[in-house]
Amino acid sequence: MNDLFQTLAASASGMKAQATRLRHVSENIANADTPGYRRKMTDFQQVIEGGRATGLVETGQVQLDRRELPKVYDPSHPMADEFGNYDGSNVDLVMEIADAREAQRSYEANLKMFDQARQMSTRLLELLRR
Amino acid sequence: MYGKLEIFQIAQGLAQHASARQSAVATNVANADSPGYRARDIAPFAEVFDTGNTASSLRKTRAGHFEASGTSDTRFQTIDRPGPSSPNGNTVSLETEMMKAVEVRHDHEMALSVYQTSLGILRTSLGRGR
Repeated sequence: MNDLFQTLAASASGMKAQATRLRHVSENIANADTPGYRRKMTDFQQVIEGGRATGLVETGQVQLDRRELPKVYDPSHPMADEFGNYDGSNVDLVMEIADAREAQRSYEANLKMFDQARQMSTRLLELLRR
Repeated sequence: MYGKLEIFQIAQGLAQHASARQSAVATNVANADSPGYRARDIAPFAEVFDTGNTASSLRKTRAGHFEASGTSDTRFQTIDRPGPSSPNGNTVSLETEMMKAVEVRHDHEMALSVYQTSLGILRTSLGRGR
């Protein structure tokens, strides 16, 4: 029974981490046209407690994409320099969509594991009922 | 009395093994995107049950005594399952994990069914019927 509860905890932490990743993706997409915006990247790491890996997962520090910001030519823009260019955002929509899709699939996989562990424990408890 | 009957012991062991393995599978799925994570698995039940049976010859007459083969946590060792790794060093393959999850579910169902049926036989032999 203890293992099954640990399973539920691991799956729940996985779902939480993927949800955080999806939030960062949606922030990137929302800011795709914001001048000077740098894309946020999410990385995952294991939760270490007392020097031991617990099997749970969490998102690490948000990192900003260091790629160069593209120059957009628009002389009438308030932030344009003397050549008429301003810094756009380095968000690539195709990449974000791919990332979002991967987060969704991983979330579903975690949900499936969660559901299976729940069903196994329910089935175990049914033994006691009769 | 039920602990001494071998079929109950086997069924119980298989159910414990299944839930420990489910925990390992869920941990792998949760960490499917953690860089550098190595996929883990539990040793097959046939091996575990054999060793658990022959090595557990220490008798416990007091609560403070050591156990030869402990409870589920110590009995099922996690093994490092080698496999191709993605560029970030992660060796989890979601497809393999899904397959293992189905196996786990099957094992668990089987263990519980055997347990339930044996219990029915025992009840019948006691003259109570089911």
